Amino acid sequence: MKSVNQEAIEHDPQQLHEDLHTIWGNPKGLRSLTIVNHTTLGLRFMVTGMVFFLIGGILAMLVRTQLAMPDQNFMSPDIYNQVTTMHGTVMMFLFAIPMLEGLAIYLIPKMIGARDLVCPRLTSLGYFCYLFGGIILTSSLIIEMAPSSGWFMYTPLSSKEFAPDLGSDFWLLGITFVEISAVSAGVELVVSILRTRTQGMALHKMPLFAWYILAMALMIVVGFPPLILGSVLLELERAVGMPFFQIAGGGDPLLWQHLFWLFGHPEVYIIFLPAAGIVSTLIPVFAGRPIVGYGWVVAAIAIMGFISFGLWVHHMFTVGIPQLAQAFFSAASMLVAVPTAIQVFVWLATLWLGKPKMKLPMLWVMGFLIIFVCGGLTGVMLALVPFNWQVHDTHFVVAHMHYVLVGGMFFPLIAGLYYWLPLFSGRMPSENLGRWGFWLTFLGFNGTFLIMHWTGLLGMPRRVYTYEAGSGWEIYNLLSSVSSFVLSAGIAMVLLDIALHFRFGKPAKHNPWNADTLEWANTMPPSAYNFVSLPTVETRHPLWDDPNLPHTMAKGMHGLAVASHGRREMWGTDPITGKVREIIHLPGNSWWPLFAAAALAVVCISLLTRVYALAGIFVVIAGVFLLRWSWENGAHPNAAPDAGVKPGDPPLHSRTMDGPGLWAMAVFLIANGSFFLSYLFGWFYLWTVSPEWQMPDIPPLSLLIMSIAGGAVLAGCVVIEKLVRGLRQQRDAGLRASFYLAAALGALQVGLAGWALWRADLSPTQTTHDAVMLVGLVYALFHGGLAVILTVLQGMRVGYGYVGAHAPFEPAVVALLWRYNVVTFWLLVGALAILPRMIGG
Amino acid sequence: MVMVLTRLHFTHPIHLIIGLTLWSLWFVAVYSGLSVACAVAPPPPEAGALTGLNAALGGVSFITALGLVALSWGSCQVAKQHEGRQRFHATVSAWLYLFSAFGVVFAGMPIISVPPCL
Ligand code: HEM
Ligand SMILES: [Cu+2]
Repeated sequence: MKSVNQEAIEHDPQQLHEDLHTIWGNPKGLRSLTIVNHTTLGLRFMVTGMVFFLIGGILAMLVRTQLAMPDQNFMSPDIYNQVTTMHGTVMMFLFAIPMLEGLAIYLIPKMIGARDLVCPRLTSLGYFCYLFGGIILTSSLIIEMAPSSGWFMYTPLSSKEFAPDLGSDFWLLGITFVEISAVSAGVELVVSILRTRTQGMALHKMPLFAWYILAMALMIVVGFPPLILGSVLLELERAVGMPFFQIAGGGDPLLWQHLFWLFGHPEVYIIFLPAAGIVSTLIPVFAGRPIVGYGWVVAAIAIMGFISFGLWVHHMFTVGIPQLAQAFFSAASMLVAVPTAIQVFVWLATLWLGKPKMKLPMLWVMGFLIIFVCGGLTGVMLALVPFNWQVHDTHFVVAHMHYVLVGGMFFPLIAGLYYWLPLFSGRMPSENLGRWGFWLTFLGFNGTFLIMHWTGLLGMPRRVYTYEAGSGWEIYNLLSSVSSFVLSAGIAMVLLDIALHFRFGKPAKHNPWNADTLEWANTMPPSAYNFVSLPTVETRHPLWDDPNLPHTMAKGMHGLAVASHGRREMWGTDPITGKVREIIHLPGNSWWPLFAAAALAVVCISLLTRVYALAGIFVVIAGVFLLRWSWENGAHPNAAPDAGVKPGDPPLHSRTMDGPGLWAMAVFLIANGSFFLSYLFGWFYLWTVSPEWQMPDIPPLSLLIMSIAGGAVLAGCVVIEKLVRGLRQQRDAGLRASFYLAAALGALQVGLAGWALWRADLSPTQTTHDAVMLVGLVYALFHGGLAVILTVLQGMRVGYGYVGAHAPFEPAVVALLWRYNVVTFWLLVGALAILPRMIGG
Repeated sequence: MVMVLTRLHFTHPIHLIIGLTLWSLWFVAVYSGLSVACAVAPPPPEAGALTGLNAALGGVSFITALGLVALSWGSCQVAKQHEGRQRFHATVSAWLYLFSAFGVVFAGMPIISVPPCL
């Protein structure tokens, strides 16, 4: 392979370090809010996640206290419902996902030899959305108005009729807000893993952890949008009375369950995959040998990623779905045991063939193996329909769930935190205190939840606030509650150990566990730019094969050891082979992410308090902030006005047609497409299944007007495509006019579609049909409008000289959105205007 | 045959996901086909599992499984001709195709014996 920029020149390392520090270093004080660096933000994610874990844990202890004895009055039924719902919600949405994403954000660039994630400002936006959303959601507890319909928010229990308070609104708005964060991180991790691995790191050479995170991130991208759609619909129903989930107008409460579990089942694998990634990283290191069957693990990851989307109905076995359909989902649920088993055997084989050292992190890995396998077994039991009917909604389910969630996520997480602790702080944890923490947690955990299987089998339902004396459940509940305090003590000890180690831990020697992956080539704690120079890596075990690598990297003897241009730079590489294709330059610190997230928080709060005018204003303000942010790109003076690179180096990405932004747009459109498909699913689902659904006799949407609108968006797309093809051949004559022409066509589409909507004269609060139709049209109008705005902005950028034959990148990104709009608009025309005419009610 | 095998580029990592994507499409097709058929024109319950609907679902499943097995065989052949990266991708894809075929058979098995719309 021809490698770039590899002459082993000796730089003055100290000088280089100082130069890089000037460019990458973090500001202090108030300006630290502008930091976009992945190391800092990854830590912020994790620390915030731990705080939410503590909140969720306190709620769990309240639940266990209430259930310790029969007929207790420690909490009223209403408060109990709030506490359980918030426990589940906080643990799933505010702890598990952001915590693991934080770890991935922190580690991925370091593991693949990059200096940062590929969209640093997006990391920052994600963090603030998470923080603000989490604060809004948990504040509902303080005013005793927390959601109380369970973490799955089933309708009609969560609907206006049975939950008139603001609780459900807190959930729907807060969670959607937090999900912006999850999806942003998902998009960015996908692109980073595919496009920014260091020189030579081909797909089949990258660390397994990166495969796991790639799968997790893609699953977030596809799996979260159904819930976002469900939340939007339910909030619309609650706020303005559009009847999506009410039988009366033609809706169906089961639609919520479908949308929720379409997200909810993949969600548990989204949580499990990164945790399994931690295990697959640690076991080889402590066994002192490469993993047995790298390819098998990759296959298992792919299988899990897909099959887990075919299981959602196993949460709905009792709602009256045809037996054959249940059988499909039951079988698919058992299929997922195959990849799990593959991984377990790979782990065991690696341990068997190596010489495992039982250091503290390994203790947690062993705990994981035991607990998780048990949870997997009860999972297969639950996948059997007749058994499922017996234990549905009992504490057996709660026990199973915690075996897989705590065993499958929390134990590996703690293993990982202990393992990477020296990297965070440069110090080692205490083996002594750490071991106490482990054993208390392990025993307490099993005492709490093993027993809960029996209470469940004896028939104790979940989510009931108390039970009668003499039911035969007393002793089990008491034991379970006592054990849960042992568990808490264990966790407290772990946290104490981690807190103390920052002061008292032994200083760690370099690469303290003798690991094989690149993150240990950092200084401890890491610098803001990770690596002084970026190495060529053609093995799965860079540090085992070349123990001297960290040293030569730090001396600047590898790629991109330049800082004089003042840009934040790293390699952009080919997704398959890892050949260097371009130099990616990254934006520096910025206020825009914080401002945008703050504006969105105001939107969220004003929707909650039903001040819709204010919400509207702040949507616009947030939009302006986001557009302002996107303005500082490419050839903009704050980005990379000068395209100079060293002789022999590849061009800057903004001077090519295939930068990471294009990939980010594509992945974002996958997320968007998942949202759109969920919408179409909802439309067809209600149309076929909903008992009171009514198709109007005369289709309200004018096919003629809609078709002309579709023609306009198609024409606009053709204009854009032609202009992009011209740019590809370095031609940019008439570029600005073409942009404005396309924008005009887009405006025509929006105008016509708006007119068709207005003429249709829908009554969205009366019938579900009209409500669903309205949502689809608003979606199309929004996307059409967005394309128009972005296209006009491109025209303006041509005028400023930021876009043109010399910097042809951005139009290609905008072109993707146009294509997407053409496809989705015509699908909408087909589903809403053509099919009803063909089939009728 | 050789032509077809080279045309399909089995050494490209996209094949790591095609098999499972086909599995997913099959799953969606069978589940939604069943749901729509049961909503629109359910066969009489006394017909048991021997209905046109089951036959159609079974037929689709059979063809899908067969296609996946063929793709698995193709990947396997191509894998043998390569080394290193290409071999890795083709081998893992072959196993994933095989698993997807197994997934179709396993999850589709109930079609033989369960009445469709009960
Ligand atoms: C730290 C120790 C934990 C304890 C003692 C605990 C305890 C409990 C209990 C007793 C319930 C059942 C409430 C009921 O059905 O009546 C419950 C529900 C639940 N837990 Fe935990 N839990 C813990 C950790 C976790 C973690 C780490 C997660 C997720 C990552 C989690 C997720 C859930 C969920 C999703 C529910 C269902 C809530 C609902 O039905 O609304 N828990 N927990
Ligand atoms: Cu599930």
